[in-house]
Parts: sequence; C-alpha cells; structure tokens
Amino acid sequence: MSIRALWIISQEKGESGKVRFSRRYPTVESRASRLGRGSYVPVPEDSALLRPLLTDLGLTDPEKPFVEARDGCSRLHRTAALELVLEGRQGAGAALWPVLAISQAGLILACLPLVEAPPGPRPPLPSLASVSQGFSLLAGLQAFLSGSGAGKAEVESRLALLPAALMQACPLGTPLETPQLCQPLPPPTVPLAGPQKQPAWKPGVHRGRALVSVAVSEQVRSMQYGNRARTDLWDVYGTVTCKCDLEGVLPTVTVTLSLPPNGSPLQDILAHPCVSSLDSSLLTASSVDESDGSAFSGPYKFPFSPPLEPFHLCFYTSQKKRTCPTQPRLLLSHRPLPSLRSTEQAARAGDAEELRAGRQAGRSQCLRMSRSSLMSFRGQLTNTDLRVTSGQLEVAREKSLLVWVLGSAGTDLLRVLHLELHWRSSRFLRTDEAVAPQEEGSAVPLRSQMQERLLFHESRVRCLIMMDSSSEPLTNEGNCDFNQPP
Amino acid sequence: MAAPNPEGWPQRVAAFSCSPSHFLSSTTPEDFLSDLLQDLKDDKVSESTKVLMLGPLQEHPTILCPSPQVGEQTAVALLGIFSRTAHTPKSVNLKCHLMLSIATVLISTSFVKQGVKVAEGFLDLLFQTAQDTNDQKHGGMFRPLRAIACDCLREMETCCPGLLSHKLEALYSLKQQEMTPLHQAYTLLYGVALRNAVHCLTLQKDVMDGDLKKLLASNEGFAWKATEKPLELVQLTTMSQIPVLPSNVETKELKSVVSLLLEECYLLTPVMQAALLRELTQVVSMVQSLSPAIFKSQLLRLFGTVEISLLHSTLQMKGTFTDSLFTAEDENFLLKRLVGMAQHPLLSTPQKLFYIECILHFPENRPISSNGEESLPVLVTPRMAASLFPTVFNDSSTMLSRLNILSLVYLEADEEEGIGYIFDHLMALHKIVDHHGTREMTTTFFRAVYIFMQNFYLNEKYTRDLIESLSELYRSHYTLAPNLINLVDSTQKLLEDSSWPTDLLKALQMLIVELPLQQLVHQSLQWHLKVLGRVAKEEQASQRSTVRFLLNLLINSSLCGLGDWRIGNAVLSVCRNLLQHPNLDQVFIELADLLQFMMHSFEDVDIQDHARFYYTLLTNLSKEKLSGVLNMGTGESQAKIRSLSSIMAESEELSSSLTVHRTRQPVLKLVKLSEDGISKPDHSSSGPEDSTPDVDLLKVYQNQFLNPEFASVVILKYHLTFAGEVDALYHKLFCICLHFEQTDSNYERVSDVSVPCLIYDRKPCVVSLTLKPWRPYPTVLHASAIFTTEDGLSWHTQLDPILIGFPDLFLPLPVPVHWSQGSREQLFHQLWKSLCPEESSQSATSLFCFEVGERSLREVIESSFHKYLVSKQLNPESYKVLLFLPPQFYVLLKIKNSEDAASVSIITDNWKLLPFINSYIKCITDYSADRTQ
Repeated sequence: MSIRALWIISQEKGESGKVRFSRRYPTVESRASRLGRGSYVPVPEDSALLRPLLTDLGLTDPEKPFVEARDGCSRLHRTAALELVLEGRQGAGAALWPVLAISQAGLILACLPLVEAPPGPRPPLPSLASVSQGFSLLAGLQAFLSGSGAGKAEVESRLALLPAALMQACPLGTPLETPQLCQPLPPPTVPLAGPQKQPAWKPGVHRGRALVSVAVSEQVRSMQYGNRARTDLWDVYGTVTCKCDLEGVLPTVTVTLSLPPNGSPLQDILAHPCVSSLDSSLLTASSVDESDGSAFSGPYKFPFSPPLEPFHLCFYTSQKKRTCPTQPRLLLSHRPLPSLRSTEQAARAGDAEELRAGRQAGRSQCLRMSRSSLMSFRGQLTNTDLRVTSGQLEVAREKSLLVWVLGSAGTDLLRVLHLELHWRSSRFLRTDEAVAPQEEGSAVPLRSQMQERLLFHESRVRCLIMMDSSSEPLTNEGNCDFNQPP
Repeated sequence: MAAPNPEGWPQRVAAFSCSPSHFLSSTTPEDFLSDLLQDLKDDKVSESTKVLMLGPLQEHPTILCPSPQVGEQTAVALLGIFSRTAHTPKSVNLKCHLMLSIATVLISTSFVKQGVKVAEGFLDLLFQTAQDTNDQKHGGMFRPLRAIACDCLREMETCCPGLLSHKLEALYSLKQQEMTPLHQAYTLLYGVALRNAVHCLTLQKDVMDGDLKKLLASNEGFAWKATEKPLELVQLTTMSQIPVLPSNVETKELKSVVSLLLEECYLLTPVMQAALLRELTQVVSMVQSLSPAIFKSQLLRLFGTVEISLLHSTLQMKGTFTDSLFTAEDENFLLKRLVGMAQHPLLSTPQKLFYIECILHFPENRPISSNGEESLPVLVTPRMAASLFPTVFNDSSTMLSRLNILSLVYLEADEEEGIGYIFDHLMALHKIVDHHGTREMTTTFFRAVYIFMQNFYLNEKYTRDLIESLSELYRSHYTLAPNLINLVDSTQKLLEDSSWPTDLLKALQMLIVELPLQQLVHQSLQWHLKVLGRVAKEEQASQRSTVRFLLNLLINSSLCGLGDWRIGNAVLSVCRNLLQHPNLDQVFIELADLLQFMMHSFEDVDIQDHARFYYTLLTNLSKEKLSGVLNMGTGESQAKIRSLSSIMAESEELSSSLTVHRTRQPVLKLVKLSEDGISKPDHSSSGPEDSTPDVDLLKVYQNQFLNPEFASVVILKYHLTFAGEVDALYHKLFCICLHFEQTDSNYERVSDVSVPCLIYDRKPCVVSLTLKPWRPYPTVLHASAIFTTEDGLSWHTQLDPILIGFPDLFLPLPVPVHWSQGSREQLFHQLWKSLCPEESSQSATSLFCFEVGERSLREVIESSFHKYLVSKQLNPESYKVLLFLPPQFYVLLKIKNSEDAASVSIITDNWKLLPFINSYIKCITDYSADRTQ
C-alpha cells in the first residue's frame, strides 16, 4: 500500500514538459525490487520518464499526424493506469507499470504505486491496494496545488511548499493524509484531557461562536438535439457543502435533506467519509435502477462529525435520462443561410476574413435566438457576457435577438457559445453553453449543452439541521438563510 | 575536491536530484557523500540547508551508499548528528528529517539485522521517542518527531515483517494511551505488527491453544529472527491459498482487539482507514475461527463513501470473504453502486475509469472463472449497463472504456440491438473524423473500431459496413493511411484467422486503383503507395490491379519525367513487397514490364539502378532464392540490416540504423606526428657530383612549375586515436570518414580522409592530411568524423580543431634529386638575386639578430632548418637556408655568426610572410635561449 515515486510535471500547450517536482521512496523501492525479482524495473531518472509519459498521454510530437507509439490502435487508452516503455540507456525497452496520472490545467501529476504481487503475469489493477491509495494521494495533491482556484503564481508558491507538506502527508511512501496547505495549528500546550480521542482528520478544535452553514448547489446539464426523432438528454446533479464551526472534539451533527412536493428523488448518493452511518434505503436509490415507483424519497439523513474545513457532505444525481421537467428555457434554432446572405451579414460586421471564408465555402451558418426565448426569464436583462470559439456574434438587445454567424473557417467540429446572462432582481446566475456542429444542412442535429447553476435553490431542497453539541439547540429547523451567497 | 561553500548546496542538491547519473559524472558518490556529511556536522550551516541536504540521502541512498559498509558508516554518522543536535523545538524539523534519512539508509541498504549496532541503536531510539504518548515528557512541539518515529517503525516492520511481533502488548498500550490525532500512527503501527505477527504464527508448526493470547500479551525485545527470512505475501484473491491458524486457537482476545480497532477506525483519515481495514481483513482471513461478520457494522458506511481507497478496500473485503460477509443482495447492491459511480458526473475521470475496471474484475461470490482476465460479472445486464453508454462529450479514454464494457455486455447478452447502438456510436465518431476531427478524435475512432472488432468480428453485417465506411473515410482523407495500416496490422495480430483485415485492404486497393489519374496529386500519391505496399504483403489479395495501376500511372503521367526520388522509392517499395508475394507468378510479366519501364524512363539514377536490380532479381532468381534474398536481414543482426539496406523494406526499426547519431563527447582526436616520424621526401641529400653547368639552373628549376601540380601541396601526418577513455560502445569503429572545414580562404578545400577501421587497444592509425595552400599562412581547421560502430549505427563526432602552424608549411627546395650540392647553392644565389626587392614588387628583405646562448648556432640551425639547409660554412660560421612554401613562395635566409650575436638576413618574395618568419625565428631562438638558462 505504498507509492514508489511521485512526479509533478508542468506542460503548457505547444511546449515540451518539464519535471517540476519528483520524490522517490527508496524503502518502498527496496520492497519492489524484492517482490519483482527478475522482472523488477527500477524507477528511472526524471529525464528518462518524461518523454514516455507525455507520449502515452498523447502530448508529444503535435506536428506529426500519426506516431505508432502514441496513436497505435492496440495501445488501448481506456484504463486508469499507464504502461510506460522506457527509452535511453536506463532500462531501455522495460515497461514501467502501473503509472497513474491525472492532468489538469497544464499540470500533470503522476505516481507509481507498488505492485504487491509475486512476479509473473500482470495482476489486474483492482487487485492492487496501492492503486487507490495512489489515486487518493494524487487527488489530494491536485487539491493542494490548484485547489480553490489557484492561479499560476499561486501554483508556483505552493510547489515550493510541497516538500514540507509531503513530509507530513507521505513521508515514507505510504499516504497518511491529504497534503495540507496550512501547517496544522500548534498543538495546545495543555494536553487534551478527556476520554475522547481526537480524530486524525481534525488537528485542532474550534473555539468561539457555533455556526453551521450548509449550501446546496445543483447543476443541470442538457443535450438538445433539435431533432424530434431524438429526445433531448437531461442531467441533474448536485453537491451539498458544509462548514461547521462547533466546539468539542467530536461534535455530532445531522443534516436532513427533504424533497419539495413533486421533487424528484436523489440518486447515487456519495457521502463524505466523516458521515458516520447511512441508512441503507438512502443508498439503494440508484440511477442504474429504472424502477422508480417505490423509490425512496427522503428525508435524507446524514449524521456526521464535521472536520474543521469546509467539505462536500454529499454528491447526488437526480432525474437521470428523462425528458426535461420543464422545457429548456433557451431555445436555439438554426438554419443554413444562402451564402449570399451570410456574406452580407459578415460584410456588415466588417470582417474581411469572414467575407472571404463565406464566399469560398459558401456554407456559412447562422444561429438565431428568438426574443421569446430570452423573455422566458422573468426580470430584466442587465448584462450579457458572450463568448464564442469561432464565428461572430451580434446582439440586438432591444429586440432580444442574438445572431451567431458560424462561418466556415476553422476545422473544429464543436463550436461553443458561452453565454452568461445576468438578471436584475434574480438570484440566479446562469451559465449556458450552446454547442453547434459545423455541418451543412439543417437535417443535422444541433447539439447544445446547457448548464444551469442555481445557488441556494430553496424550492428544490429544504434543509433541516440537528446538532448534538453541548450548549447548542438540539434542533434548528429551517434556520438557514439560503438567499445569501456563502 | 575542495569543499564547496555552504551557499552552493541548494544548487548542488537540485542538480543531483535532477539527474544523479549526470551529476556523478563530474564527481564520485564518495566525494559527494563525504561533503554532505561534513557540512551536516557543521554548526555554521543553517538548519533549512541541512534539511535540503538530507534530500539526496532520502531519495537516492543506494546511489550514495553503494555498499552495506558505506550504508552503515553513513547511518552511524547521521545518528551521531542526530544525538548532537539540540533537543529544542526549533530543531524538530531537522531531527525529523535526520530520523527519516537514517531509516531510509538502513532499510534500503538492507542493514536492519541483528548484531548491527547502529540498527539496534536506531530501533531503540525510535521506540523511546514513540513512548512519549500525549506529549507528556517533551510537550506538543515534539509531536512531529513522534509521528516520524512511528512511521519509521512501521516502515521497518513492513520491510522486515515480524520485527515487532514480540512487542504487541507495548504497542497496544501506546495506541490506547494516545489521545492526540497521532493515535492514527500508533493504530496503524499496531495493525501492521498484528497482521505480521499472526502471519508468523500461522507458519509455526505446532500452534497451541493459548499461543495467540500469548502473542497479544507479549512485551519482549525485537524479533530479529524475523529479519532473516522475509515473509511471503499474503494473496487475498479468492482462489489463492491463505495460510490459516488452526481452529482450536483461543481467539477471544484477538476478537476484542479487532472490534476495538474497527470501532475507532472512524477516527483515522480515509486513506489510513483503508489501510487498517486491509490489515484487519488479512488478520481475520488468517484466523478462521474469527467470523468476518465482525466487519458488518462498517459496511453501510463504506458502501456509501465517496472515498476511492475506502471503497477499494471494501471490494477487497468482498473478494476475501465472499458470501461469508456479503449476501447475494449485497453483491447486487454493490455492483449497482459501482455502475452508478462509474458514470457519476461529480467524480474525476481516472476514478471513474478505475471503477469500470473494478466492474470488470468484480469479486463475485461465485465466480465462474478467475484467471485474472477481464470478465463480466453475471449480474451486469444490458439494462444495468445502459447508463454507461458513451456520449460524444466523453473524453476519449472514458469513451473507449465504456465502449469496451458495453461490448462485453452485449456480447454476453447476445443482443443484436445493443450491437446496433454501439455501431451507431462508431458511426457518430466516424462522422466527426470525416469532418476533420482533431488528431485525438481520429485516434479514438480507430481504437474504437479496434475494440469493436475485438468483440464483434464474427458479426458479418456490421464488419462489412465498417469496411465500407472506413474506405469512404480514406477516399476523403488519404492522410489517414498510417492509421488504417496500423488498424489492419493490429486487428490481424488480434484476430489471426479473420479475413476482415484483408478484406479492408482489398477494399482500399480497389478504391485506389480506380481513382482517376488527375486526382493522384503528388501528396496523396505517397499515401496511396503506402497502402498499396501494405496490400502487396497480403497473400489473399490479388496484386494484378496494383501492378497495372502503377504501370498506367508511370506511363500516363509526368512522374517519370519529374524523377522525384521519393515517389520512385515509394513505387519501388511496393514492387519489393510484390517480389515477395507468394503469387508472384500471376503478375510476373506485368511486374517485369513495370521495373523495366522504370529502369529506362525514370529520371533518377538511383531509382533506375534499384529498378534494374529488382528486375535482375526477378528475372534471374528462382522464387525461393528471391524470397531468401529479400527476407534476409529482417530482424537479423544490425550489420546485415546495414549492408542490405538497399533491398530492405522500410520499417520503423530501420530508422535508427539509417540516422546519424551524435556522440555526446568527442570520441576521436588527431595527434600530430613528431618530425622524426615523418619521412618527408628528403631532397637535401645530395646526389652524385655531376655538374650541369651549362644549363640555366634557374630556368630548369622554374620550368618544373609549368606543371601546376608540382610541389603544390603540404602533407601533414597525424595519428588518429581515441580521445581518452571512451565508452565501450566506441571501441571498434569502422568506415571512419574525417571531414575538414577551413576557417579562411587561404587554402583549397581539404578533401575527406577515410580510415577503414580503428580498434581501441590497437595501434593508432596514421592519417595524411593534404593541404593545398593558396597563401601559406597559418590556419585552423575544424574537423569532424562520421563512423560506424559495431552494432551498425552511424555516429557523428566533433574533433578538436587542428592548428596548422607556419613551420608546418615549409618544404625543402623542390629540385630534382640528382642535383648536386653545388647546383643547389647556385640556385640559391640566383634566387636571391632574382628576389632582390625592386619597387612595387612583393618581395622584401629583412634582418634579424639574436644572441647566441650556450647552445651553439649550429645546434639551432640543425634542429630547426636541417632539411632546408643549402650550404654551411664553418669558418666564419655561416649558413644558407631556403624555405619553400607552396604554391611557390620562398624565404631565403643567410645566417652569420659574429662575435656575440647571430644575424639572419631574410629575403622573401612575399612581404606578408615576414611577420610569421620573424615570430618563428624568435620562437626558435628564444627556445634555445630558454634551454640555456
């Protein structure tokens, strides 16, 4: 259950990667060499690892359309673990397995878990305990490096803190905890007297006013085909986030979620490890089951003892794969325009490039959003933030008309319209994304993806908080103000 | 090596960590280690620097301590530093790092053994440190040190299982006492020690009833015996044999210990909970009288967790205990949860991929087979898996992973409709690629096709459709040729007896040969020829259309006239594959026509030669010999590949032998041979005394120069040797070609020099360098070499620049050998006269005086001008020296010795040479003066 080595690599688009940090665990390595015997492949030096790793992730030789080591069919990239064929003098041709890697925003985090199995045929990945430990560690590192919206400069400074954080979280290759950004509070000078052991995930205790805040954020993702033959897809999923400032070593809190009338039941509930026990009926509701007549519809009780920091109490999904409860509020219609017309439009926008493209290909497209679609929001439109990946956008605010000239330049199949609309007298922040394929003719389905972020959507989830702490009220129902942003 | 200043450590440590091998090429591990240890002892070095300096020991102890002895010494030194470091809160961090470094060094040099003082001492230290529970003695500031001590103890126990097996009681009470968050470290330490102790007990022969109880209550020293023979792994798969304790053993105490551990498990961090659960799973599986139901209370909490490691250990528990802990209902439920999590929108992609893999390796209660390969659990039905259907918005690995599992599901269920869904998805991908999808999308599509074929190759309807759509794709995107060829190769390897790959190739062949000529533009042709070349390897595919197509192409287009080597070579590589085709007879005449046409009409000599060679092979060799010749070299030794590269098919493996690699360091050098070793044609030895007084000597002499080649070159001899110690790879070099590049325009281009071979421990090779000066001035030549090593690879190396000095260019007077001494002297005088400077002439005279030291003038002259001496007189001492410099320049010297100084009268026909002459004479006379001092 250990990690042999760990790497952090930065890779910007169009540049070759660079190993920013690496850590090897020689004691684990000595176990690996004893277990692997003849088939043991030592951890290579950073430089020897970089290129195979990037090749496996498809990040090398961007100018070459086909490289067998990268694009070959039989190199199936469908598993969670990579197999790196090493080059160079150090163990040329040897395969390093299983390398776990996650990449996000120019950073690649990779680690090599110890294979605790006798030499011989390669064991299946799920039989290796170290693999999930490796994933946990990588996820923790990812949160450490780029969590809470850290910018580039922030990532750099956090990289400098990494050795000290790893000394705490993983000194000898066995992950002990997630790396902590802030050093733990200096331990109290007076030893904690009392019968209760302090949880390892809670280095200190809170002193001061007791406060529990719960936030529910829910997202709606839909796929509109604009085609009667295909039903649109519709996804709802959400996160319940908690921050509890409560005194005591191990205070217990119960959050109860209940559905509004006609609300659709929650499914696929995943609870934070601090939740101490769960009702089995709560877990059986699964999106995999089609039988929903007798589905459990709450109340959903989560008894837990909170850590100090804010945490995701649970994740859930709902309404999987059914027709939308309401019609999508932003309807996109599109039709191909005669080339002349699109050329005219482009010319009006004064973009010579577009003009040429339109004339040459003669298959520009235009998307219109009608007034009625925008008007379906109550309230007044105050601000629009519009971005498109290609083509042009014209907004006629007085007519609530939006024209998207797709043009035909570019080779991207997917074009994204990012639209953020702000309403006065509305608590909702909306992020809508429309994705249109670059295709000819109106018979092709239009795919669009709409995301809706509802912050503190009180009509959807009602919250009940019960606290079992020394001086706090035992029951505290409906006391949370959902209208305030956190 | 001088001790570097402490400020340099961050850079040195960074350089070492970046690439230890590169760093140690400039120093040795011993030096670096002793520097490290020395500065670690130094009080002036700051603690943060010391922490940094321990990094190399924590990460690469085996490099720094190559032998156990060095490891022991290092550990002793570190332990000394540890005990000397003040026990104050300020230096806790350094002490933690020291402790970690000692543990790392000891474990990785396998030095945790009985009788090793330092290991025993260190273990005692760890144990003492760990005993300060709840920070009673030293206070909370020392808690990190305790944490590291516990971790080091656990690592020692993990690497030497059983070491702490006689200390379970002590560890248990430590675990019980600790109230701070550190109880986690004690709990896990106890868990690991317990697991190993029970494991050791199972291996004992006669286990008594109370042995387990005794084990739990033991509080003795370290069990050094355990370090002698490491324990085997306990494999917790359903089928493997787990060592177990006899059922009569008393387990009441163990049961209460395990339940207490489980009860407090909740207080650990999730990853540690998972680790502890694994240890306890192993303990319970080894003690059969202990019921797995002990875990029952934890299960619901574990089923619902979002934490990947906790769920993973639950799955392991499932695999170990099967139906003794999990009912059929639980199994169904767990599987459903897994499927739900494998597509949960709020989990990360790698996590979801891992869950899909867990479904494919799900530990079923009643597995049908357990060979470790992917197999679908019986309970996964198409309906259950429907939610895993990939969408266009999945990233490619998720998409492929889902396609794979769904293919297995539909294959198992034998559901035609499901296959249709998957095929529709393939077609959706096809459409994206057709609309110029990104490279990633293209790759994904071909991999998806591969997965589809892997599972549904027997379904003729879809595989036929697939061939059609793939060839349509090729029609509009000929650049996909390498992807298609790779798909064919991979599927052929996968499905040995399927005709699908061949059918696909046939379809592509048909498509290409039917293309109108106008469409075969230059670029696309390359790809088409590549595909045809691949088709030509296919036994089942008829090749006639290919040959006809090629012939038609060459006759009716301008290709032959253009003579593009690449195109010609691409056509020839198709021909080459055709030559090997088993059904060569069917296309024999057409192929001969094609090759003949190429060898006559293709406007490139190399292509013509090749075509002629193939033609000769085709028409003269029997089929067996032909294939024998052409098959030679494939996969054989590198040398063969090189020698046969002209008839080799192009392949990826060849590229390394066809490229020229660069050496990192110079491999070769040129060393000038000393004068004595050079046998320059010695003109000074006078011939017989036959005087030819009637002849105008000067005229005869000058007539020689009517031949422009006469005496126009300087030949310099060098030894070609290895530049110091070189890698063994370069010990045998062949076909060395030395290339020289001049730095100015005073010389004609220096031609390359070839040396057949150079072997490390044999005599160096003599190389003659022929210089043809326009103006005989000193110069510098850049030199490089290309050579071949024994493994057939070509290398390029840079040599040190070659300095050509002024005296290197001197030649003796080029007169016929039979000329007598007198004739020479006469010529000298005539030349002197003719050179006497007139106005606007290039010639010049000069005078140089020097002091004659103890070394007589004679010696100076003899050593420097021996070969150029025309006459010498002893009384009064005077010499005449003629230096000839190609192409035809002269420096004439008359040297006289007067009382205390020698004077040199100089005359030359090129005044620009004067500075060089002056400095040269100065140099040799200074030298003589130096020698005298």
